[in-house]
Amino acid sequence: MDIFLQQVVNGLVLGSTYSLVALGLTLVFGVLLIPNFAHGEFYMLGGLFTYQFVAMGLNFWMAVAAAAAIVIVIGLLLDALVYRPLATSSGLTLMIAALACAIILQQAAAIGWGSEPRTTPPPFRGTLTLAGASISYYQLLFIGFMLAAWAGLTLMMRYSRLGLAIRAVSQNSDAARLMGIELSHVRYATFAIGAALGALAGGLLSATVPVYPEMGINPVLKAFVILVIGGIGNLWGAIAGGLFLGMIEVMVAGYGSSEYQDVGAFLILIAVLLVRPHGLFGRAEIER
Amino acid sequence: MTKTTRRGLLALPLLAALAASPAFAADEILIGEIHPVTGPASFFGVPMSQAAKLAVAEINAAGGVKVGGKTYQLRLVTEDDQSNPAIGAGALKKLQSAGVRFIIGPLNTPVANALFPIIQRSAELTQIVDGATSDGLVNGKNIFRVAATLPLTYEPTLVDLVKAQSVKTVAIVTDRMHTGWMSLQPKLVTDIAANGAQVVAQEHMKFADTDFAAQLTKIKSLNPDMLILRAYPNESALMTKQARQLGYTGKIVWTNTPPPSTIKKNISNDEMQGVLLASTFMTDDYVRKGVPAAKKLHDAYVKAYGSEPGELSVMSYDAVYVLKAAIEKADSLDNAKVNAALQALKTTDIVAVGAYQPQDGGKLFNAGGDALISGLQQVWKGETWSFLGN
Repeated sequence: MDIFLQQVVNGLVLGSTYSLVALGLTLVFGVLLIPNFAHGEFYMLGGLFTYQFVAMGLNFWMAVAAAAAIVIVIGLLLDALVYRPLATSSGLTLMIAALACAIILQQAAAIGWGSEPRTTPPPFRGTLTLAGASISYYQLLFIGFMLAAWAGLTLMMRYSRLGLAIRAVSQNSDAARLMGIELSHVRYATFAIGAALGALAGGLLSATVPVYPEMGINPVLKAFVILVIGGIGNLWGAIAGGLFLGMIEVMVAGYGSSEYQDVGAFLILIAVLLVRPHGLFGRAEIER
Repeated sequence: MTKTTRRGLLALPLLAALAASPAFAADEILIGEIHPVTGPASFFGVPMSQAAKLAVAEINAAGGVKVGGKTYQLRLVTEDDQSNPAIGAGALKKLQSAGVRFIIGPLNTPVANALFPIIQRSAELTQIVDGATSDGLVNGKNIFRVAATLPLTYEPTLVDLVKAQSVKTVAIVTDRMHTGWMSLQPKLVTDIAANGAQVVAQEHMKFADTDFAAQLTKIKSLNPDMLILRAYPNESALMTKQARQLGYTGKIVWTNTPPPSTIKKNISNDEMQGVLLASTFMTDDYVRKGVPAAKKLHDAYVKAYGSEPGELSVMSYDAVYVLKAAIEKADSLDNAKVNAALQALKTTDIVAVGAYQPQDGGKLFNAGGDALISGLQQVWKGETWSFLGN
């Protein structure tokens, strides 16, 4: 029983990291229809800038915030220089452009920081042990932050003018424009929020995992799996999908074989695609 | 644009490529080095490349290489494999087309695997592997290795450590993408059992994973005396942290060659205290052992590059000197003759930093092409590794 509870906690911890990365990606993909593979690099840059600022003596939380601010600027530049000019291109073109952006950002980071992995000293340590299951206080904080980000984003989408505009654009951009919504503002806001979420995930996790230029590849691939599971553009789907994937991976490794940990995740991906192609929480669209 | 102008423009890249190719002077010997000078393993690859450059500069400054009464200067041509087998194979092709016949490297086993069939088939290539540790990869004909290997050095050292620590139960976590570790795992389990300890768990992970809690929770529930991590340094650091966080209090053993500087950037000293290492001699180990040649390499490296030499620098440095010794012994630049000289080379024939053990009549390489390097057991004490036993 002890071990089962611990594995559930392990699944929650792993899943929460997946969820936070997926949250920003699903927003950008859902609203702007950009399969932004460079989202993994926003995550990576968030981690590297946080490490850099902490090494320069900045307080950890200030460092995370400053890193997120820089990554927002990088994200907006990327959108202005690459994605906006290609806005009317095919999905394949956008996908190739996104992959190219990811590689450029990785190489730029490798030139700037080198490829040696490094971990930001955590702002606090300590482990909570309850009913035989352990979780660090920092992991608890991360889970809390992930839930707060989801709640904040959901409230913003439901009750703010910006959220209303973003939802309108995601449903029908032509109709939104006819209603007087400035599409470029929605685009800036969406990309900035997406980049910030990626950077915050990287910045916060830099205290628990090593950061290096290629660190964004795996998380963004997992985030795309979560988008399929949870439904593209669905915020709750990103959270639930991330937690579901984390839990599955942990249970496969914990009670099956760790040799097949990734197989479990991708089998589920195929199953979801076959049974519910719009995701467990997505809605089927009817093309008229 | 006229047809001629267009043709001229089309020819520009070709001319640029020709200009960039390492066309060599008659009194030069080209040595190609293939290392990951960019990419995820560049913190190993860059110091290896720089150490090879240092050896070449020293040899040239000391008068070069004497062959058939003529003196040649060495010229190193660097190619970057980025730890990627396909890029490594492309790098080799590039060196071949530039006329390179002597190759040093690579670091990574997958890259060495990709190069092996190409080099094995070629009568005009000789290779000295200076990093890849897996079994195979060399043939003792035209491919040799100055790096310690898993079957000859690392695995026996690990088994010795298990025995020396008098543990009864052991759990192993292995990087499932590492062919060397995976293929030798059954033998390792048998050897550990033959030395009185029982392997109670065999778990797996892969390079670049960041969460190992599921595997470690399972292992902790079995409460083994020792946890062996057959993984790269980053993942070993993370697993060590996560195992301690989950409450595992047994001994933890690393089996890869982690630079202390990298370790300190990823795990605190407190969390590292008492971690054991079953590995082999790296540059810093030779320096700490007081080997004069290692001190000389260290000082020259710091003077040339303003930084400490990397863990594997010693192997790349030695590879250049081994090649020089073989060319001079062969008294020829013909690959077949140099290969024969390498096969016959004795440990006493070379000026090297590494403590290579004489094999089969004092030879440097065994019939398979491997040099034999001693294993080394260490423990993390204070702020770095300390030698255990002898």
